[in-house]
Amino acid sequence: MRLKVLWLVLLLLLPGALAQQLREQIRKYTLDNGLRVLMVPDKTAPVIHFNLMFDVGGVDEAPGLGGIAHMVEHMAFKGTPSIGSLDWAREKAALEAIDKARADLDRALASRASQEEVQRLTAAFNQAREEAKKLALPNAIDQLFTNNGEQGLNASTGYDRTDYRVSLPSNRLELYLRVYADVMMNAVFRSFYEEADVVLEERRQRSENDPNGALSEVFLRTAFQVHPYGRPLIGSREEIQGYRVDKAMEFWKTHYHPNRAVLVMVGDVEPERDIQLVRRYMGVIPRGPARPSLNIPAEPPQTDERRVTLEYNAQPSLLIGFHKPTYPNREAYVMDMIDSILTEGRTSRLFRRLVIQEQAALNVSASSASPGFRYPNMFTISAQPRAPRTTADLERLIYEELERLKNEPVTPQELQKVRNQTRAAYLRVLQGGPGLAQTLAFYELFFGGYQRIFEEEAIYNAITAEEIQQAARKYFTPQNRTVATLVTRGGSR
Amino acid sequence: MRALWIFFVALLASLALGQGVPADWPDPFKLQFQRLQPAVMQPTRVQLSNGLTVLLIEDRSLPFVTGRVYLRAGAIYEPADKVGMSGIFASVMRTGGAGNRSADQIDETLETLAASVSVSTDNLFTSVAFNTLTENLDAVLEIWADVLIRPRFAQERLELEKGRALEAIRRRNDQPTQIAVREFVRRINEGHPAGNVSSAASIQSITQADLLAFHQRFFKPNVAVLAITGDFNTQEMVARLERVLGGWPRGEVTLPTFAPPSPKPGIYFVQKETNQSVIYMGNPTVTAYAPGYSELDLVSRVLGDGFNSRLFVEVRTKRGLAYATGGAQSQGFGWPGFFYGASISRVEKTAEVIELMLAQFRDLRERPVSQEELELFRNNILNAEVFRFTSRQAVAERIARTQMLGLPADYYEQYVRQIQAATPADLQRVMQQYVRPEQFVIVVVGDRRQFDKPLSSLGNVIEVPLE
Repeated sequence: MRLKVLWLVLLLLLPGALAQQLREQIRKYTLDNGLRVLMVPDKTAPVIHFNLMFDVGGVDEAPGLGGIAHMVEHMAFKGTPSIGSLDWAREKAALEAIDKARADLDRALASRASQEEVQRLTAAFNQAREEAKKLALPNAIDQLFTNNGEQGLNASTGYDRTDYRVSLPSNRLELYLRVYADVMMNAVFRSFYEEADVVLEERRQRSENDPNGALSEVFLRTAFQVHPYGRPLIGSREEIQGYRVDKAMEFWKTHYHPNRAVLVMVGDVEPERDIQLVRRYMGVIPRGPARPSLNIPAEPPQTDERRVTLEYNAQPSLLIGFHKPTYPNREAYVMDMIDSILTEGRTSRLFRRLVIQEQAALNVSASSASPGFRYPNMFTISAQPRAPRTTADLERLIYEELERLKNEPVTPQELQKVRNQTRAAYLRVLQGGPGLAQTLAFYELFFGGYQRIFEEEAIYNAITAEEIQQAARKYFTPQNRTVATLVTRGGSR
Repeated sequence: MRALWIFFVALLASLALGQGVPADWPDPFKLQFQRLQPAVMQPTRVQLSNGLTVLLIEDRSLPFVTGRVYLRAGAIYEPADKVGMSGIFASVMRTGGAGNRSADQIDETLETLAASVSVSTDNLFTSVAFNTLTENLDAVLEIWADVLIRPRFAQERLELEKGRALEAIRRRNDQPTQIAVREFVRRINEGHPAGNVSSAASIQSITQADLLAFHQRFFKPNVAVLAITGDFNTQEMVARLERVLGGWPRGEVTLPTFAPPSPKPGIYFVQKETNQSVIYMGNPTVTAYAPGYSELDLVSRVLGDGFNSRLFVEVRTKRGLAYATGGAQSQGFGWPGFFYGASISRVEKTAEVIELMLAQFRDLRERPVSQEELELFRNNILNAEVFRFTSRQAVAERIARTQMLGLPADYYEQYVRQIQAATPADLQRVMQQYVRPEQFVIVVVGDRRQFDKPLSSLGNVIEVPLE
C-alpha cells in the first residue's frame, strides 16, 4: 500500500512539466479578420495535421432545415469556380438553370399541377443537372489532396461545431491554404441534389438500418422536447428531401466565417515563417458577422420520468439519460469523474457489477456530455442485456449502483484511480497528431482559449468524494430520467 | 521576348483563374512540390538469450513506454471444431489471471496505474501489448510478462467470455453490414480456415484445457518478435527484458499449411427487411508478395479508393446511389488476398447498382486506365510515404510483422519500385489475369420484395438463411 502511494505521488508530479513544455511550444495568432491560428511544432516526421473548426452545427439550424449544417459540410468539398470547373462562365449559367428548373418544379408540385406537367418539369430538372455535370470536374479538392499524398481527409458535423481535417506532407502548406481560403470565400455547391441523395443514404445507413442509431434518435427526441439537441443531427427524411441550394447557401454565408473559426496545425511547422503564408491566403477572407443570437430555447427542467420503446428487428438494448449542466460549470467535471467511476475499465462499478459479477450485460458504457456541450446536456448510460436477462434487469442494477453513489462516498483509492486515468488519457492526447489538432481547436473555440486544457487537471484533482455524492443525488433522480428501450420486434424485452 | 511571352501566359492564366480569388494566387493544380523523403527510423535489433527478437526505438519526448510482442497464434490455427476460440483465448489470457496474480488483482493494479496490458488477435497473429508511464515500467512489465508466459485462464473468466461470445452471436444479425461482411469473407475464403465462422456449438465446446494447449503450442520466444518504443535506455531495457522474460523457455513450433481458398461463384443472397442493400463482390487473387500484387493494389485504388475512384464517382457522386462505396485489393499473407468492391445502396436500385459495379470491373479489364488517373493514385502512394514514419511504435511494429511473416526486409521498397514502374498496360494485364467478374462471389443483403429486378436475372442465386 505504501509503495502504491509513492507511485501516485510520482504520477502527480510528472505531467505538469510535460504540459508546461507543450504549452510553451504552442503559438497562437489572430488575423485581422478574426481567424485564430494555432501551431504546434513536432518534428517527428515532415507532415502537418490540419484541423479547421467552425462554431457552427446542428443547433444553428432553423426549424424545417434540420441537418442543413451537415449538408453544407458535404457541399464544402465540392470546390470553387477555380477548383472543379471546366468553364466557370458556362457552369455558373448551368447551375442557375438547375435552380430555376427546381423552382419551377416545386411550384408545380405546390399547386398540384397535372401529372404530365410534373413529369415534364422533372425531366427538365434532370436535364439541367446533366448539363451542369458536363462542365464540372467532380471531387476536385480531393483530387488535389490525393495527388499530394493526403491522409485522413474528412469532416464532421456535431450539434455545436463543424470541423474539416486533413494531414499532408509539410511542404504542401501552401496548397492547403490556397484551397481552403478559396472554399471559405467562394464555395460552389455543385451536384447539390445528387449529394442530397447521398445524405439520404447516409441517413438510412446510420439512423435507420443501424439499431444504435435508431435508438439514439428516439432517445434524444424524448429527452429534449424543446432544445434542438432533440432533433436528429442528420435531419429527417422529409427535411433532406426538401433541401434547396439557396437555403443551404444562405446558411453557409450566414455562419462560415474566419471570425468563427480556428485553424490548428500540428506537425512540422515553423510558426514565425508559416504564419506569413497563412496571412497571405487566409487573411484575404472577409470578416463575417458574429454568431447571430438564435434565441435557442432552453430545455425546461424535466419533472417526470420519460420512457420510450422502439420496436426493431434487433436484439434488446437500453439507453438511460439524465439532464445535467455543461462546462465550465464545475458539476460537469464532477459528472466526468462519475463517468469514469461507473464505466472506465474492468474495475469500474457498472462493468464489474453488470458484466462480470451478474453476467447480465454484454457491455455497458456511459457518456458524460451527450449529445453536445455548448448547452446543458445529458449523462447517458447504454447497456445490452445478455439473454435471458432483460433490459428491466439492467435498469434495476444500474439504479442500484446510482443509489450507492448517492449513499456512500467513493473511496480515496477509487477517486485517485480515476484521477490517474483522467491524467493518462489527457497525456495521450497531448502526444500529437490529428487528435491533438482537434482537441486544441475545440478548447480554443468553446472554452475561452486553448490554455483551458492546461487548467482542467487541477479541477479534476480538486473534486471531492462529497461533490460526487452531491451531484449524484441532484441529477440521478427518476423525474430527471429518460429511458429508451429497444424491443425486439415480435419478441420480448 | 521570351520574358514578355511568359508574362502574357501568366496574365492569361490569372484571368482564367480570377474568380473570387486575388489575381496573384496560383492555380492549385499547377503547384509543384518535391516528394519529401521520410527520415527513416531503424530500430535497434537484439536477441535475448531465449531467442526472442526485440526491436527497440528510444523516444524521450513523453514519459511513456509501449511494447507489443507478436506470435503466430492467429485464428487460422485454432481447432476446426472450435472456431472462435482464438478470440476467447485472447480475452481470457488478459482477464483470467496470470502467475501469482488473480484476475481482479491484475485489473486493479493496471487501472490504478492508468496502464494497460492487452491481448489482440487476428487471422495470423496474437499479440500481447503494454503501455505505461515510465515511472511504472517495472511493475507493468512484470504483469505483462505474467500474462504472456503464465496465463491462468481462470475457469470462471472463461465461462464469462463464452457467455459474452454467445450473446455477440445472438446479436450478429442485427446490422445488415455486419451480415454482408461476414458472409462475404466466409464465401470468398471457402475451403480455407480464414472463411470459418463461429457457432454457438463451437463456442460452447471450448475448455480451459484447449486454451492452455493453444498457449503451450504457439507461445515460444524463439518464434516471436517484440517491438518496444518510448522513454528508456536501450541497454537497460534489454537487461530488464532478460530479467522478466528469463523464465520463458524455447520450443519448437510447427505451423500447419492449408490449401488456398476455392470459392464457388454465385450470388449469395440474405433476406433482411431493410431499405438499403449491402453488396460485396470480388474474387481471390494473389498473395501480397506475389508478382502482380503491387499492380493489383494500384488498380484497386483506381476502382475504389476515395472520392476520385471510379466506384465513388459513378455510384455516389454522379448518381447519389450510396453514402458508402469503394473497393480494394486485400493483403494476402499466407494465402491469396481478394480484389473486391462494395456498396450500401437504396434497396429499390439493388440490381442497377450491382450492374453498375460490375461494369466498373469490366471496364478496367477492357480498357487501359488513363495516364492521368494512374498518376493520381501513384502520387498518393508515393507522396504519402512520409506518413509511414509518424509514430515510432508503428514503425517498430511494422518491422516486427514483416519479420514474423518471413518477408524480405525491403518488402516495402520493392512494392514502391513496382508502383513507380507500373503502366496502364500493367494494370490492365493484372485485371485480365486475376479479376474475373463472371466468377465473382457476390453477397447481397437486402429486402427482395423491393428490388428493381430479381437477382436471378443477374446470375445464379444461392439463398443464405440467417441463423
